[in-house]
Amino acid sequence: MAKYQLSYFNIKGIAEPIRMLFAVAGVEYEDIRIQPEQWPSEKASGKYPFGSMPILVYGDIKIAQSFAITRYLANEFGLNGKTNLEKANVDMIADALKDIGEKIGKLFQEQDETKKAEKLAEIKRTDVPTYFGALEGILKDNKGGDGYFVGDDLTWADLLFFSQSEYYPMMLNEDVLISYPKMKALRDRINEHPRIKEWLEKRPKTEY
Amino acid sequence: MTKYRLTYFHMRGRAEPVRLMFAVAGVEYEDIRLSRDEWANEKTSGKYPFNQIPILEVDDEVIAQSRAIYRYIAKEHGFAGKDIFENARIDMITDVLEDVLILLVRVYFEKNTEIKNRYEADLKTKLPIWLGGLEKLLIDNNGGNGYFVGDGLTWADILFVHQTDCSNFQPSGTDLDEYPKLKALRERVAALPSIAAWIEKRPKTDI
Repeated sequence: MAKYQLSYFNIKGIAEPIRMLFAVAGVEYEDIRIQPEQWPSEKASGKYPFGSMPILVYGDIKIAQSFAITRYLANEFGLNGKTNLEKANVDMIADALKDIGEKIGKLFQEQDETKKAEKLAEIKRTDVPTYFGALEGILKDNKGGDGYFVGDDLTWADLLFFSQSEYYPMMLNEDVLISYPKMKALRDRINEHPRIKEWLEKRPKTEY
Repeated sequence: MTKYRLTYFHMRGRAEPVRLMFAVAGVEYEDIRLSRDEWANEKTSGKYPFNQIPILEVDDEVIAQSRAIYRYIAKEHGFAGKDIFENARIDMITDVLEDVLILLVRVYFEKNTEIKNRYEADLKTKLPIWLGGLEKLLIDNNGGNGYFVGDGLTWADILFVHQTDCSNFQPSGTDLDEYPKLKALRERVAALPSIAAWIEKRPKTDI
């Protein structure tokens, strides 16, 4: 019987929500981590449709692009909401998380320390309140915000959020979620989910 | 009957794939186009989940994020894949198109010549990998003389036609001559009667 194979670098990054999906669903997979020195020859092998990772291989099936993979597995495992509208809301939240995640990530890569501090102050003044404020509102609108982002059950939007939130203290120099109590509680709740907790304990420890 | 209201700027931009899908499906909707000033007033009104457009109002619900909107309308009106795997293939293709778009937009809007040249050079190294990958995926689908995924038009084809349509927006080297199946797909889809009719009658804007 075919086994899922996920290939990515040896970091959490954009593959971590996928790994968490497997963990929550209790589905076995090969968690392939390509070392930096192996990557040039891997890339040149033609195995990666768009020359990048992650990719998912499952029998004859090969999917690239992190969100395409995440959404595919979430649909297969029942972690993508129940109706088209719920799925649209999951997509919306995921895309917004991606937007703010990219802004934060880009800032973090700034080499000049002075510019970095300026950009950090700016993002905390503008983008963080815009995005996190909106997400906090969306969470609260979902039956008071003590469950998950969409519907009654965990979706990949929640896992994406959790996975990104692991970077916030490092990249923003503070735990910004203190100002967004429902999101903070959601993060803590996911942290305690038995299968996530198990994964967090046993996964390879990497800085990123 | 569902009431649809699409709000965006007066341009094709990120709303056009929705307008194209509505045109093909023959669905009525309000095509609201805000000026820059109107948007400046509206933006923080609380109506727009992330203070951005496009948004699509579906009766009382609001969906933000262009790609969430595309995917939703695709599923509601027959532009989605027939199973989870076909949808994953569509997602993969449209995610790459998004990667291309981000770099195209970056070149288009950059005022500083030196930076613009750098962005354009970066685009030129990545395009062959992306377009080559898409050409191959298209060919993998029964020889590439139909659509990207499965047997029918999906939002992957719609998005592709829309993006390659912004013709005065292409840096040099992004024509499709080296990708014959992609080029033929683009022409085939643009010639579909409902799409050709919409292209004919829609407001003419630069981008």
